Amino acid sequence: MALEATAIEPGVAGEIVVAIDGAGGVDDSGVEQLELQLNRRFPKNRATILMARPRAGEVVLASPGEVEPVPAPTSERSALVTTEGGIPGQYSALGALLREGVRRRAAAVALVAAAQHDASADWLGLLLAPVLEGGFEYVCPTYLRRRADAPLNTGIIYPLTRALYGQRLRQPLGGEAALSLTLAARLLDDPDWRRDPVHAGSDAWLVAKVLAGRHRICQAWLGAWPRASHGDEGASETLVRALGLVFREMERHTRCWQRVEGSQPVPTVGSGSWLGGEAPRVSVERLLDTFRLGARELAPVWSLVLPPATLLALRQAGAARADAFRLADDAWARIVYDFAVAYFVKTMERRQLLASLTPLYLGWIASFVQETQGLEEPAFEARVEALCAAFETQKRYLISRWRWPDGFNP
Amino acid sequence: MWEQTQRIFLESLERVLHGAARQLPGALAMLFLLLIAVAAALVLRGVVRRVCERVSLDRRLREWGFAGPVAEGRPGPSQLIARLVTWTVLAVGFLVGLSAFEAASTSALAARLLDFVPHLLVAVVIVAVGLAGSRAAERSVLIGAVNMGLHSARLLGLGARWLVVILAFGIALDQLGVGGRVVPVSLAILFGGVVLALALAVGLGAKDLVARSLERRFPVPKSLDEPDDEDEEGKLHHL
Repeated sequence: MALEATAIEPGVAGEIVVAIDGAGGVDDSGVEQLELQLNRRFPKNRATILMARPRAGEVVLASPGEVEPVPAPTSERSALVTTEGGIPGQYSALGALLREGVRRRAAAVALVAAAQHDASADWLGLLLAPVLEGGFEYVCPTYLRRRADAPLNTGIIYPLTRALYGQRLRQPLGGEAALSLTLAARLLDDPDWRRDPVHAGSDAWLVAKVLAGRHRICQAWLGAWPRASHGDEGASETLVRALGLVFREMERHTRCWQRVEGSQPVPTVGSGSWLGGEAPRVSVERLLDTFRLGARELAPVWSLVLPPATLLALRQAGAARADAFRLADDAWARIVYDFAVAYFVKTMERRQLLASLTPLYLGWIASFVQETQGLEEPAFEARVEALCAAFETQKRYLISRWRWPDGFNP
Repeated sequence: MWEQTQRIFLESLERVLHGAARQLPGALAMLFLLLIAVAAALVLRGVVRRVCERVSLDRRLREWGFAGPVAEGRPGPSQLIARLVTWTVLAVGFLVGLSAFEAASTSALAARLLDFVPHLLVAVVIVAVGLAGSRAAERSVLIGAVNMGLHSARLLGLGARWLVVILAFGIALDQLGVGGRVVPVSLAILFGGVVLALALAVGLGAKDLVARSLERRFPVPKSLDEPDDEDEEGKLHHL
């Protein structure tokens, strides 16, 4: 893949602009710590730390001293936590950060979450070093997570993004990011800011733009996942929010991903695997209850989206005993692709469509948890790899359905 | 005798012919107006069909959840709207034609019916919107209830649908002036009863569910230094 030449030279100071995004904000000592961390790691670069704040319907950046006290949280502001991922464009600080970075001709810009990061890792250095020292244009963060955590990422976002764009970004919707000046300027010139302000600037938009373009990208292990303060969101809400953004970008980059076959590893900075500690409580019985309830009650809705063979497979799976319940990787990949096509052709109202995927997603979690609960780490990795391979294999199905959605007429 | 009979017959015939001659212009006018109405209805049907096709009305209604997929051989929403417009124009044309007769009774009847037409049209639109909206409400409630793990999801969905349908019909009847005060009073009793039943159900059986839902919607802020409690530690984060 040929790389495009760097178009903009950064300022002589090699400034680093870091925007802190999040409803909780960071106090003065937190900002000082970040500055210290940056000065120690990048002594030749001047660091500027800014705070993202919603003002008059948009997100703006301000110096920590200028930021007024954090007002009482609202449901709207609680979405401003980047570590949750899947942030809609209008709530994202990315646009403001890009403008500030380009205005200052900063060597690198970074969007980080106002959350407690892993103190044992030089997370900010790991995030920025590939841009400042490695010549990369985009750094995608990867966090240590508990194995059963982030099933939406493991089961849909990661395999889907990987199959679509051919790059193995482990946690595409990490929320945080570091970008070079050239990429920032290019993204800032994108017409989507004017044409589609709701989605432009979301993390899914950023990742899709970067993956669909010819950019030097890498991923960096930043230590333990900085848990968001207000991450108490149900499966349905998360699905609607995050998957809606991913499907929207899929629609935007159709011509790009239809030409991609297979996938390749992405250069990785640092190393990591899975976080220890208490595993999340996953009640397989409850997940299966919701799956079976959905299979019983939502069959008329699913029949608008899924082909009869898949519906039959789901009925058979639902009839199995709890401990024998399995959802095959190929079937799961096809289900996700069918929903993506239904989203594209607008088979029904899009929020309803994504919400109706929830019982299937919970069923997949139940199946995956049961399959992987006794596995050692390499075997677990192999299991995730098999799932991703299924998504890549079934991509032909996606392309044919995308091109001829009426081929299957419910 | 024969002359008298002949005279009476001729006079009667003359009266009939005079009457017919007097009604002839009215009948011709009615016929003419009916022909115009038929032509206007045909043109309008074509226009409505084209507009509906141009804006992809069937697809949009399906996307918004207002209409389901159309079975083969059954008319879609666009066709139904086109038919409604056609028959409305024909009915109005017929009423206008009736008034052209100049017959006192028919004119009065036609005038009253013509006055009624706008109310009828508004009522039809209200019912159509209500029926379409009821499908969206049913699907939305059904999906939400399934995702909350409520086993009576279908019942709730049907309940939501019928509430919307009943409300739409109630408003339409009120618009038509049918039923007097009975309709609003019945609706008030019905909806009051439903709200009371829901309040009792939530208060007695689902207060924990509501509390969890409210907590999710209006989270209590925690400072970053505050350690996570045990509950948070074992929680599954989807993304």
